[in-house]
Amino acid sequence: MGIWEIYLTTAMHGLVYGMLIFLVASGLTLVLGMAGVLNIAHAALYMLGAYFAYTFTHSTGSFWLSLILSPVIVALVAVLIERFLLRKTYAKGHVPQILLTFGLLYMISEIVRMVWGTNPLRVFEPPLLSGEIPFLGGTYPVYRLFIIGFSILILIGMLLFLMRTRVGLVIRAAVHDADMVGALGTNVPFYLFVVYAGGAILAAVAGVIAAPMLSIFSGMGDQILLDCFVVIIVGGFGSLLGAFVAALLVGELQSFGVLWIPQLALVFEFLLMAVVLAIRPTGLFGEEA
Amino acid sequence: MASVLMLENIWKDFSGLEILRGISLEIKEGERHAIIGPNGAGKTTLFHVITGFYKPSKGKIFFLDREVTGLSTYRIARLGLSRSFQITSIFPKMTVHENIRNAIVSKLGRRFDWTSLLSRSKDIQEETNRLTELLRLEGVKDMLAMTLSYGWQRRLEVALTLALDPKLILLDEPTAGVDVKETRGFVQFIKEVTVGKTLIMIEHDMDVVFNLADRITVLNQGQVLTTGSLDEIRRSEEVQRAYAGRK
Amino acid sequence: MNRTVPYWIAGAALILGFLLLAPHLLPEMKIHLIIEIMIFSLWAVSFNLLFGHGGLLAFGFGAPFGVGAYAAALLFQHFAGISLVLTLSLVALLGFVTGVIIGSLSVRLKGAYFALITFGFQMFLYAIALKWYSVTKGDDGFGVTRPALSLPLAGNLSMANVVPVYYFTLAIVVLAILATYLFQKTPLGNSIALVRENDVRPPFLGYNVYLTRLTVFSVACFLAALAGGLFVFFNEFVSTAVIDMNISMIVLLMAIIGGSEYFLGPILGAAFYVLVQNWLSSLTNRWFLVMGAIFIVVVLYLEGGLISLFIPKKDQPGVSMGGK
Repeated sequence: MGIWEIYLTTAMHGLVYGMLIFLVASGLTLVLGMAGVLNIAHAALYMLGAYFAYTFTHSTGSFWLSLILSPVIVALVAVLIERFLLRKTYAKGHVPQILLTFGLLYMISEIVRMVWGTNPLRVFEPPLLSGEIPFLGGTYPVYRLFIIGFSILILIGMLLFLMRTRVGLVIRAAVHDADMVGALGTNVPFYLFVVYAGGAILAAVAGVIAAPMLSIFSGMGDQILLDCFVVIIVGGFGSLLGAFVAALLVGELQSFGVLWIPQLALVFEFLLMAVVLAIRPTGLFGEEA
Repeated sequence: MASVLMLENIWKDFSGLEILRGISLEIKEGERHAIIGPNGAGKTTLFHVITGFYKPSKGKIFFLDREVTGLSTYRIARLGLSRSFQITSIFPKMTVHENIRNAIVSKLGRRFDWTSLLSRSKDIQEETNRLTELLRLEGVKDMLAMTLSYGWQRRLEVALTLALDPKLILLDEPTAGVDVKETRGFVQFIKEVTVGKTLIMIEHDMDVVFNLADRITVLNQGQVLTTGSLDEIRRSEEVQRAYAGRK
Repeated sequence: MNRTVPYWIAGAALILGFLLLAPHLLPEMKIHLIIEIMIFSLWAVSFNLLFGHGGLLAFGFGAPFGVGAYAAALLFQHFAGISLVLTLSLVALLGFVTGVIIGSLSVRLKGAYFALITFGFQMFLYAIALKWYSVTKGDDGFGVTRPALSLPLAGNLSMANVVPVYYFTLAIVVLAILATYLFQKTPLGNSIALVRENDVRPPFLGYNVYLTRLTVFSVACFLAALAGGLFVFFNEFVSTAVIDMNISMIVLLMAIIGGSEYFLGPILGAAFYVLVQNWLSSLTNRWFLVMGAIFIVVVLYLEGGLISLFIPKKDQPGVSMGGK
């Protein structure tokens, strides 16, 4: 393969990974914008999505079935966490919230190790999507193209929902100014719930579709947490567009980083974050303080 | 009389939204200056710009004949410019004594002193006691700030500003939220503890203004509408129009 | 922070007396536990200097501990006759420098952002420790031998036996913890506390908030690295376990379960962690889950931590942890 083919392939990989990060980070940034809560445990939902995908795929034999079942179970877990644990911290302030969500990420990682073992697991892509197809001069795995395509479909669905429905309108307003929306008489907690559950489903879906491509391991939560964190800082708190742009940027940086300095691809993410923090601390698309 | 504060053509905008539009003002030593104006006129923003919290988009600021445009807040505070807040900002879980002491530690330049014990530092203790007495807070000095009534918290708010022995005092709506019955006493308190000092205050309550100030600037939509002595402003038609138009 | 000094002095004196006699009263395995408790106490106290006193919650506090541990291990490995005191001094200094570097980039952020960016830095250092196999031996780790302690007039004291290790560790830890306590009572300690109490007002009173926070962060890292160095000195072994996410969770567990609003809370937390972990792990493999559950229960229902159970209600500050 010539140098351009390598770069193109790397760029495609970056696009794939960026899309996955976006799916997870979108829920995180919207909840952050609406409720001012950075729910660290959200990263664990992605990991659970992948692990449940493993279980369902192996027990039912169908990847597609697990694509439906896994997010449902994970959303249920997320709702239970919110109802019985997270809710208790709203009145206590930010520190208990941060401690709780971090503790939950940790606990869930431990539970995952306990239930599924410490060895990385593999899920195989569905036969329909396996193999490679000719692409721009070379070949490219079908499955990765599927991830890109599927993520774009989800993105379009999200945009339609937020732009064209009444619920979406309220959510957009609340991300912008939750107090004001509440003062107008809207039942903000209900919309927060919608965003929270929706975000959980997206994170789980990302976990499911990531599973055949990446290996499933108990450090997945920490890894995606850092990526999402960089995305939020770079993209701006509460900005979906920002999260999208930043996610693609981070995905590409990871991809090229692995190509150039495989040992420490993290460096590039950090450099990006440091630069953004120095030049425009509220993020590329964030609102000025 | 010496010039304490000089604002030259100050502009401040936020992403295109102009809040301050070409404000020029001079405050002389010993002056007691009130800034009044309708809501949204930019008064608090002006205070933020003077204290270095915001950098002006255009224009210069001189404090005691020294240019301070663009300096950080803490540097400006150390030069002798101190402000109080409209929304009380004190140290809630510390006692009144400890609150004042925080200002004194800074005034005496001991912020980074790690080689002496605070409780054994005679100079800090004595200065804190002196100021606590001067600022009439002797009686409550061992109470936790958060247990004080709102009125007393406002006193502490002003006291923190004054504990630095500043050369210029900025008071942002000092009587905000204070019970009508307590306002008289509070204004008297401010009058006594700021005697002879240079003062700029933002106020809505005209009684307070007439009691404390000798010069007034009226701000409207980010610009100086007029500046003058108490009498001049009272009689100004422009001022009446600005206030009437807002209703 | 704490107004009821008398009980603590009496209690501390008793405990100190016990600690001085312990090697003669208890079997070796228990002495090992006490040493571990002492080292973790120092680390937890340094964490709380940053969190309870400074108001800064860092999820990446395994970084200075790990840096200190690896630095000590590498010094012991490559310089066989090196002075023990010099090693620990260098290690602590390196911790301080690490604090300045990470802190200068992090302390401008608040709350969860600060917590996570320190976590990011730690993960970066973890990646280095994991992958630089030639130096660190990755997660296999490597062993070291304790150098002897050279006493000014009495020659070298071998550290092969656990008893001298115990007393040396006790001396260093007690001194360091005492120094930390006094540090909090200096004007600088006060500056750090007032910036925690109110982060809007201090600049208007002349305080440089950034520099103040950077200072407390660096000092905390100094102490954490010292603890890391002692850890390697005691265990004679280092691996990526000193700098992974787990270890960050451990210090968090100790400080929070013990109680972050009182100076001695983290020490109680360290003792609790070591003893309970030791007991639980003989019962079940899943002890980390139990610890995690206790942590969550404390966060939700016992904000003052375990130590608040020993303090009469009237002396408690009566507000939720971390303020705001």
